[in-house]
Parts: sequence; C-alpha cells; structure tokens
Amino acid sequence: MNPRVVGANLVVSLKSFYRAKPAMFFTMAFPIILILVFGALFMNQDNMNFDLCVQDLDHTDASAQLVKTLELDGKFKVIKIDPAINAAQYTKDNKPNLVLTIPKGYEESFLQRMTLNDPGASVTLAYLYDPSSSLVSMKMQILNSVFDRINQKMSGKPPFIRSAETSILAKKYRFIEFFVPGIIAMSVMVLSLFGTVNLNTELRQKGVIRKLSTTPITRTDWILSNILYQFIIAVLSTTAMLLVSYAVFSVSLQINAWLPVFIVLDVFAFVGIGMILTRFTKEAESAAAAANAISFPMMFLSGGFFPLEMMPGFMQTVARILPLYYVNEGLRASMLFDDHMTALRYSAIIGVFAAVVFILGIIATKWEEDQ
Amino acid sequence: MTKEAEHAIEVEKLTKRYGDLLAVDDLSFNVRKGEVFAMLGPNGAGKTTTVEIIDTIRTPTSGKVSLLGMDVTKKKHDIVPRIGVLPQGFSSFDRITVRETIQYYSRLFCCKNTDVDGLIELVDLKDKTQEQYKNLSGGLKQRLGIAIALVNDPEVVFLDEPTTGLDPRARREVWKVLLDLKKKGKTVFLTTHYMEEAEFLADTVAIISKGKIIAMGSPEVLIESNANYLVLTLKPVDEKVFEIVGKMGFVPVHDNHRDIKVRVEHMDDVAKILNTIKDAGASLISLDVRKPNLEEVFLKLTGEALHKDPTGEVAE
Repeated sequence: MNPRVVGANLVVSLKSFYRAKPAMFFTMAFPIILILVFGALFMNQDNMNFDLCVQDLDHTDASAQLVKTLELDGKFKVIKIDPAINAAQYTKDNKPNLVLTIPKGYEESFLQRMTLNDPGASVTLAYLYDPSSSLVSMKMQILNSVFDRINQKMSGKPPFIRSAETSILAKKYRFIEFFVPGIIAMSVMVLSLFGTVNLNTELRQKGVIRKLSTTPITRTDWILSNILYQFIIAVLSTTAMLLVSYAVFSVSLQINAWLPVFIVLDVFAFVGIGMILTRFTKEAESAAAAANAISFPMMFLSGGFFPLEMMPGFMQTVARILPLYYVNEGLRASMLFDDHMTALRYSAIIGVFAAVVFILGIIATKWEEDQ
Repeated sequence: MTKEAEHAIEVEKLTKRYGDLLAVDDLSFNVRKGEVFAMLGPNGAGKTTTVEIIDTIRTPTSGKVSLLGMDVTKKKHDIVPRIGVLPQGFSSFDRITVRETIQYYSRLFCCKNTDVDGLIELVDLKDKTQEQYKNLSGGLKQRLGIAIALVNDPEVVFLDEPTTGLDPRARREVWKVLLDLKKKGKTVFLTTHYMEEAEFLADTVAIISKGKIIAMGSPEVLIESNANYLVLTLKPVDEKVFEIVGKMGFVPVHDNHRDIKVRVEHMDDVAKILNTIKDAGASLISLDVRKPNLEEVFLKLTGEALHKDPTGEVAE
C-alpha cells in the first residue's frame, strides 16, 4: 500500500465529486428530503385525527351528545351529513372511506335502557365503508373502543380488568427518532453501493481502469482510496442529516463512538458488495440494475423505515439475514436506547459480514483485461 | 552489443486466443532500443492485443515476451515504472483539469521531479492547463494522453492508435509530438491503421493481418521489395487518353475521381506514354508520378485494402 498513491486517488475522487454540482446536491439532498417528508408526516402521530362522516337520522339531544362524545375523544374530526341524503349515494359522490349512521329511534332506545332499565333496548349503529381503504379498520377500532366505553359506563359497574403502563425506556421516543438512524444506515448503504458500482463501471467502460493498470497503482491502493472517499461522503451526508434532524425536529439522539463505527462497517460492507457486482456486470446500466435489485429490498425489509414487528413473520426472518438490519438496529441501540451491549453485538455481526464481502470484493476486483 | 542490450522488446512465438478466436498467431519480432516501431494493419488484425500483451495489460495464451529484458508475465511490477502507455481509446477523469491529470499520474508513479510544465509544453497544451478533461477536443485529449504516458520519463512508450478518430490537422499535431519523442531517443511502439503515419514516423514497420506479421522492415525497404514500380496518374481532357494508354500495352484504371492510373516500371515508360498522348492530339489537365506506398504494399501482400474511408472506398 502506497499512501501517496492512495492520497492522489482520493483527491481526484473528491475533486470530481465537488465539481459535479448536481450530483453532489442530490447526494446530500435525497436523505434530507426523506427526513423532512417522513418527519413532517409523522410529526403529530400521537395526536393524529381522522375525518369521520356521521349521518344522524335521529336528530335528538341524545344522538347529538353521542356525536359530541366522538369529537371530544380527539381522534375524529366529524363531518355531518344531512339526514335527508341517501348515505350510499353520498359515499359514491364524495368517496369518504367510512360513514357512521345513527338510526332513528336512538334516543328512544337510550331512554328505555336508562330509565326503564330494559335490557332488551339496544341500538345498532351502521358502518358504511370502503374495504379498499387501509384507514377504515383503524377508524372502526377506535369507534368500537369508544362505544365499549359508553356501554361499560351505562352498565353502572366499574371495569374488572384495568391496565397499568410502565415504559422500559427512560423516555418515550418519537417516530422521527426511530426513523433517523434508519435513514442514516440506508443513505450510507446507497452511497457506498451505488458510488462503487457507478465509479468502477464508468471508469472501466471509458478505459480509465485500463490506463491505470499500466501504472504502479495496485488493487489495494485503488480499493482503499475508494473506501476512504465513500467514508468521507458518508460522514458529510450523515452530518447534514443529523443537523437537519436536530434543527427541524429537535430530535433527541445520542452521538457517540458507535456512530462512526457503524458508518465505517456500513461503508465496508456495501463497497465490498459493489466491488463484487462490478466484477460480474460489464455495463454501467446492468451494474446499476443489480445494485437496485440489492438495495431496494434491503431498504424496505431491514426495518429502516418501519419497525420489524409490523411485517409478517417470514419477512421478519428475511430481515434478520440482511446486513442493513444490523446497521439499523445497532445505530438505534446506540443513538436511541443507549444500549451499548446490543450495539456491540450487532457491530460484531455486521463487522464479520463486512470483512467477508470486502475480501471477496478485493478478490473479485481485477486490473487486467479479459484473459 | 548483446541481444538484450540492443532490443527493447523481444517477442517469440506469441499467441493469443479468445475462445475459438485466434487473435494473435505465433508472432515473433524484436524492437530495437531508440527506434520507432509501427505495427500497421486493419482493424481486427491483432495490433491492440499484441501491444496490450507487451505493455502488461493482457496475458498471452502462449509464447514469450520480453520487455527491457524482463518477462512481461512475471515482472509487471518492475516493468510498469519504466514504460509509458497510451491505450486505445484513452480516457481520463472528466472533471479533472489538464494540469491536475498530469500531476495525478505523476503521483501514481511517485515521481518527485516530473516537469509538468515541460510536458504541457511538449504536447502544446499551454492554453488548456486549467481546462477539465471533458471539455477537451479529441485531439487535445490524445495529446494529454501522450503527456501522461511520459510522466515517468519512460524508456519505452506504447501508443495504441494515437490518431484514430482525429481530423487530419489534429493527426499532424500528434505526429509532431511523436517526432519530438523520436528526437529524444525514446523507443516508441506504435500501432496504427494509417499507412502514411507508419511511413512518416516509423523506422521499422511490421504489417500485420489476421494475427500474423506478413512483412517487416523499414518503409523504404518494404516498398522497394514489394512494390517496385511507379504509379502514373493522369487527369485527361478527353476520354480517348484511356484508350491510347491501353493500346500501348499498359493496364490503365479509373480511380474514384475518374482520373487514369497506370502502373509503370521505369521513368522511360512515363515519357513514352506522354509522347504518345501528345502525338495523338490528346491533352492533359495534370499528371503525377509517384512511388507506391504502404497501402499498395498491403494490397499486394493481402489482396485487401488496408484502410477504408467512411464511404467504404479505398482511401488514397
């Protein structure tokens, strides 16, 4: 290894990056845009409320009180539908995903139950819904829990089963705080994988690698300078992401020594995969397609955007064999939960993976033309 | 002088196969130190494969290649610092300037005393030092490629088709640089499919066709031994000149411009033809007598044209 050669190569890579202004902008901007979009989307997740269309056919004090109760619950913004309108026609015209209808006779049944204590007096509220909407089941769950509470209160007896909540974490974390470590892991993966694949296939196609093979630069010098370059870009990108996260969303994430450790391992692992891909794909286009085929499933399956437990069981198993999962969880363990043992365990796993693919990448990289 | 001291390159029974394709077929030749050696042949003849084996980019299937006394398959590490290479279709980093590119390659060779300005001057890129590679024209890129090939002050310089794709003016500019190298006493291994390039620059020309060397020697000797005649070109006023020359026992042919070309053995034949035309009352606009060139040597040896222009016609 020749430091002078590595340095010369690194300088050329950095100058090329700095001078390709649009590429530089999008490299830095893409993860920041993701953070801003997702952060804004989930900023008020705890106070999220839904539109709820209610048609009150009873139009009495009791039915008005029920509608008010739904509004006061805080989860719904009630949109009242004129009782004269046909609900089915309304859904066709206005496309709400759920219409709740309070039937005529609601107050009468209510009074019968409350004053005469008639157990046979009951009322059925109708849900007219669009089953293709993913929000409907969530809205129904909330409505059912509100109605259960009302039913329970009307029974006049205190609930038998109660629940007590104690968080195992010192503090409750927000979605954005869960999200940022995942985006850091994903961005570093994308930068390293695509950076390596694009740079190497482009230079090989243009014949620059052939020229370099007639100079004293070695494979090790070349790969090492690539790693350093990708690491510098990853650090710049991570810094930008963290600054935006702190400034815009006031995230509470710990920055400690694990952050550079996981960035380095992320870079090594995906530069290694990039080098292997470069060896087996001749053109830049097919190399980029192969990189996409690897990075896209990894992005969505490794728990970068959403917690793993939201996925079906077999996908959780798949996620646990993906290297990015260990970077995600390792970063979260260190930045979010202050859990150094988990960070250590996951860094060891991704470290072994990075070492193996990196060595394979070095073996796969060759200077000479086809033999 | 020993063979090793005299020869920069020694190639013995070199063969290269790509699957079923025999790209280089049992080549043997030597290149003397300080000479400009040109490998001349059409596209696909095996020039690039040969030069890339010698300059360590590729490995041979069989045979022995020695460069500066070292086996190219075993001593790449020792050979590379002593050679300079302009590969075919040379390219460099798009956003790096001319000066930075030369400095970069100089650092790769760990040269502390590279005369960057001298190289820039040699290839006449003084006005372009701050220009990024992607903004250079084809000719300027090739000149930069030559400068890069010289950053380590190499003993042997390999230039693989340095002027392909360049316009005639840019080609002449590159030739000027190569002549300067020749003056400096560098050993230059050049591949080209331009016969005039080989004829103008080379001390020794090896004509290669289908992976085999079919003739080798100085351009003069090659022409003398393979095409010992003169070519008379006549631009006639009227068509009967063609008939007159034919009746004299010569074999006139029309070229692309409807000029008449006649192959003659001696200058006496030229005088005889001109007198006969004059006596017949015919007249000429112009005439030209010249010796044959390497194109004609190649045509004679292989029965094929060496170089075709974009219209598919044999170039003059």
